[in-house]
Amino acid sequence: MHSKTLLALTSSALALPGVVAVSSAHADTPPAVSVLSYRASSYKEDDLDASALLAGSAERYDIKVHQLRYSAPVGEKYSFSLDSSYESMSGASPWYTVESVNGDAKVAMSGATIYEKRRDITASGRRYFDSGNLGISLTISDENDYRSNSMAVDGSFTLANNSTTISGGASYSDDELSPTDALLFNRIPSATKANSSAFVSVTQILNQFSILQSGISTARASGFLSDPYKLVDRRPEERNQFTWTTSWRRYFRAQTSALHANYRYYDDDFGVSSHTLDLSLHKTFRRSITLVPSLRYYQQDAANFFTPASDFLQASDFNSADFRLSSYGALSAGLKLNARVGKYTFVLSGERYKADASLGGSGASSPGIIDFTRLSAGIDFTF
Amino acid sequence: MNSVVRLVATLTLLTGLAACEAVPAYQRGDLARTEMAFDPDPLESRLNQHIYFSKEASTGGNGVAAGGCGCN
Repeated sequence: MHSKTLLALTSSALALPGVVAVSSAHADTPPAVSVLSYRASSYKEDDLDASALLAGSAERYDIKVHQLRYSAPVGEKYSFSLDSSYESMSGASPWYTVESVNGDAKVAMSGATIYEKRRDITASGRRYFDSGNLGISLTISDENDYRSNSMAVDGSFTLANNSTTISGGASYSDDELSPTDALLFNRIPSATKANSSAFVSVTQILNQFSILQSGISTARASGFLSDPYKLVDRRPEERNQFTWTTSWRRYFRAQTSALHANYRYYDDDFGVSSHTLDLSLHKTFRRSITLVPSLRYYQQDAANFFTPASDFLQASDFNSADFRLSSYGALSAGLKLNARVGKYTFVLSGERYKADASLGGSGASSPGIIDFTRLSAGIDFTF
Repeated sequence: MNSVVRLVATLTLLTGLAACEAVPAYQRGDLARTEMAFDPDPLESRLNQHIYFSKEASTGGNGVAAGGCGCN
C-alpha cells in the first residue's frame, strides 16, 4: 500500500508542472486512477430585510443541488470525465425597486413562490503528449425557460526547463431564453445570446515548496443580456469582460499544510470592476484527515447604468436596478473536512456568505444584496 | 486604473517565464500533493463558481468558461 502511494506520488511529481487552466491542473500523463464522486448541497438565501420590502414575499431562494462526477484514464494517453448536476430551487426574487418618501429604496419581490429546475451535463476528453495535453469539453444546461449549449477547448505545453507551463483555451456558448408567462407580464417571448471567451496562463514552479500561476482572459457576451423577469431592465446588447487571475500554492512540511491564495481582478464595459481574494489552509492530520478553513473577500463597483430605483420612465437608454450590478462587497468564511478511509473519501463543507453595501466600490448600492449559507456533503470513491 | 491592471497582469505573465530556481524531479513530491493542486475538488469549485456567478456581476478567470444559465 505504502509503495503504491509512493509510486503515484513520484509519477505525479515527475509529471509536474503540466498544468492547464487557471484553476485546474492536468499533468502530462492521464490520472493514475478512476474517481466517482457525489455531492449533495443545500444553499439558502437569507430573507430580504423587512425594512426593505415593499411588496411580495421576503423569502428568497432555497436551492438543492446534486452533483455527480466520473473521471478515468483511457489507455496511456487519454482521459475522460463526465460531470452532471441537478438543481431545484424555490423562493421569490426581486421584481422592481422604488424610492420611498424618505429616500430609501424598497424592493418589490415576485408575488408567488417560483419553482425552477436545472440540469446540466459536461463530457470532457483529454489527450496527453510528452510535453503537454489537449482537451475538449461539451456542456448542455437545460431549464424550462433557458437552454445553453457550449463547447470549450484548452491545452498546455511544458517548456524545456520543465518548470514552466504555458496554457491556453477558448470557449463558445449559444443560449436561448424563453421566459415563462411572457404574454401575461409583457416579457420578451424568446431571445438568444452568445458567449465567447479565451484565456492564456503561465504556471511556474518557484521552488520545491511553492508554485505560481497567473493568467488573463477575455470574454464577450452578445445578444439579449437584460433580465426578462425584472419589470424594468434594459442593458446593452454587448458586454466585453477582462480578468487577471493569480494563484499561489505553498507547502509547509513541518505543519503538513498547504496554503492557497487566489486573487482575481475583473472589469467590463458595463463599468463593473471587482477584486476577489480568497485564502485557504489545507491542514492534513495523520495522512487521512484534511481540514480546510477558508476566507473570501469580494468587492465590486456598480455598473454605469445601475439605478437604485427602477427607471419606469426609461429616462436613459440603459438602466437596471438589479442588485447584482450595484456597488457592494462580501465576506465569506468556509470550513471543509475530508476523511479518507481506504478507497473512500468523505467530504463535509459549509460556507457563510455575507454581503454588505458599505464594503462596495464606487456607485450606488441596492437593498437587494444577498446573504446565504451553503452546506455540502459527499463521497469520492477511487478505484 | 483598468489599463494599469492590464499592464501589471501582462508583466506578471512575462516574468513568469523568467527562470526560477530549478527543482529536480525527485524534489517535487510536496508540489505533487493533492492538497497543493490548483483545483483539488472539481465538484466543489464548479458549484462555487455557479453560485458566485448567480449572485455577483463578475465571472471568469477559471480557465475556459462553462456554459451559461438562466441564473444571471
